[in-house]
Amino acid sequence: MIRPLIRAFHEPKGYFFLACLLALVFLPLIVENPFVLHLVIMMLFYAALGGAWNIIGGFGGQLSLGHAAFFGLGAYTCVLLHLYTGLNPWAGMVVGMVITSIFGAAISYPCFRLRGPFFTLATIAFAEVLRILATYFKNFTKGSTGITIPQNMGLANFMFREKAPYLYIILIFALLVFVVSYLIEKSRFGYYLQALREDEDAAESLGINNTWVKLKAAVISAALTSIGGVFYAQYILFIEPYSEFSLDMSIQFALIPMIGGMGTAIGPIIGSFVLTPLQELLRSWLGGGFAGLYLVIYGIILVLVVIFMPQGILGLFKRSESEKETLPSAGGPNIRP
Amino acid sequence: MQDVIQLTINGLLQGGIYSLISIGLTLIFGVTRIVNFAHGEFLMLAMYATFFLFQLVGIDPYLSLLIVTPLLFILGLCSERLVIHPILNAPPFMQIFATVGLSVALQNAALFFWTADYRSVKTAYAGMMIPAGDLLISFARLMAFVAAVLISYGVFLYLKKTYAGRAIRAVAQNRTAATLMGINIRRVYFFTFGLGSALVGIAGALLMPIYYVFPTVGGLFVLTAFVVVVLGGLGNMTGAFIGGLIIGLVESYSGFYVATQLKEAVYFVIFILVLLLKPSGLYGIVGAEEMGEK
Repeated sequence: MIRPLIRAFHEPKGYFFLACLLALVFLPLIVENPFVLHLVIMMLFYAALGGAWNIIGGFGGQLSLGHAAFFGLGAYTCVLLHLYTGLNPWAGMVVGMVITSIFGAAISYPCFRLRGPFFTLATIAFAEVLRILATYFKNFTKGSTGITIPQNMGLANFMFREKAPYLYIILIFALLVFVVSYLIEKSRFGYYLQALREDEDAAESLGINNTWVKLKAAVISAALTSIGGVFYAQYILFIEPYSEFSLDMSIQFALIPMIGGMGTAIGPIIGSFVLTPLQELLRSWLGGGFAGLYLVIYGIILVLVVIFMPQGILGLFKRSESEKETLPSAGGPNIRP
Repeated sequence: MQDVIQLTINGLLQGGIYSLISIGLTLIFGVTRIVNFAHGEFLMLAMYATFFLFQLVGIDPYLSLLIVTPLLFILGLCSERLVIHPILNAPPFMQIFATVGLSVALQNAALFFWTADYRSVKTAYAGMMIPAGDLLISFARLMAFVAAVLISYGVFLYLKKTYAGRAIRAVAQNRTAATLMGINIRRVYFFTFGLGSALVGIAGALLMPIYYVFPTVGGLFVLTAFVVVVLGGLGNMTGAFIGGLIIGLVESYSGFYVATQLKEAVYFVIFILVLLLKPSGLYGIVGAEEMGEK
């Protein structure tokens, strides 16, 4: 299973990746500016969450816009357990993962019958239902007032005064998501997923158990997304239904891999490292004086990206590559049992 | 008993508003199979147009229909040419993002130009209630309901009887077969998008005496409209009308008997059940929901 990872270091890109990683590890020792550190944290955060979405959305082609459901469920489970039973957030994260995985499997299974826009609309509906329920049960969740997490700094409580520890935690998490995605990309399971993305009926007739493969991918994706939810809650120390379960959040998770390149392990990282700074810069340049102007530009960029580079940033490189080759490089010939 | 009747009337009237908004969307979604998230923003722009026509020129909202509807028709044609047309062959998911981008841009352009203030028109009939026995019926809502009936019937006839209408229905049912019959699909899309937008223009003008307008008002309605469209069956006018009424009634009853805050959850659950059990909707053709895909 680990072999593809070792093999990656037979090529220069493996060392380039390692160099970038080391740079990120040493960054907090050199830079103290909290804005820069926050920006890097958000870049890694969205890279991780985009990567988690990409497992079912990109590799499997099941285009969900309801991942905020998993995100919010993880966050709420952890925070509520901490609040009511005093459970440690790290343990709460594990419980959240388990609950979200079960929920993910339960809602994905019936939805997989739906195709195209209908699957997407159904996933939106599930996230909306959770948001409404979280708002409604006020006595339990504090409703739309939200929950401020009581401050109690320390590694054991997953709460820090400085940005640096958060940066290391999200770096480890983003790395975990990347490694999982990379292993999936190079594995038999990953080829199954990509096969059914291209043609479900053909994949089924070749003996792939479509439902089982999709379910597995959905559960991995949901579990990783719930970890992201816990991180976010512990980072801003406040949760409320409208931001946790919002459609905007789901859109952002899907947008990141779409910009970078869907169905590749590296795509979400590229997407986030381009899009997140762009958003933050647009916001800080235009956000002050002109309400809404930066989002107008953002919306226009979005439309232009879809029209002119529907394969994402990686697609730009792939196109020049496939012009050289005669055969499209879609997986196939390299599969070894 | 009194309660039940009043709830039913409120539900039907609210449902009429949902129908009104959904008729344009069912046409666009049914024909192009593009999830148009900007539909709510078209509604918002129509409401602002009505508002400014009233505020600056003094034109009554119901009269401004004559101006707002063609304006939205042109807006629909322009968005089809600029945004939808180039992405018709993109993967379905990318198409969603293009309309999300359009929606974000329009919403925030409204915020930029007209601020986040809530605005409303003050007409003589805005808060007028018609007493009927012990019951109260809002005049503006009744007008919206009547309009929903007339428009859905009108569009139904148009699709049923005219040549262009038949072409639109053919494309909605089976894109490939329609192409083989010599229908120019691109032109049908172009025109349908304009028509669907014009219909939401009518909705905007009729809603202005009832609701406040603000940049995010479209977001309140767009998800509900998708629920109605899928419930009624894609591209089906009768379906959109009945679907709207059902959602209105569900909202009214569940708001009263379950809890006001849960009414949305109730119809989203219904939506999920419809998708899972009968994805073609109440009046859709079985299997048509998959045919739109390439």
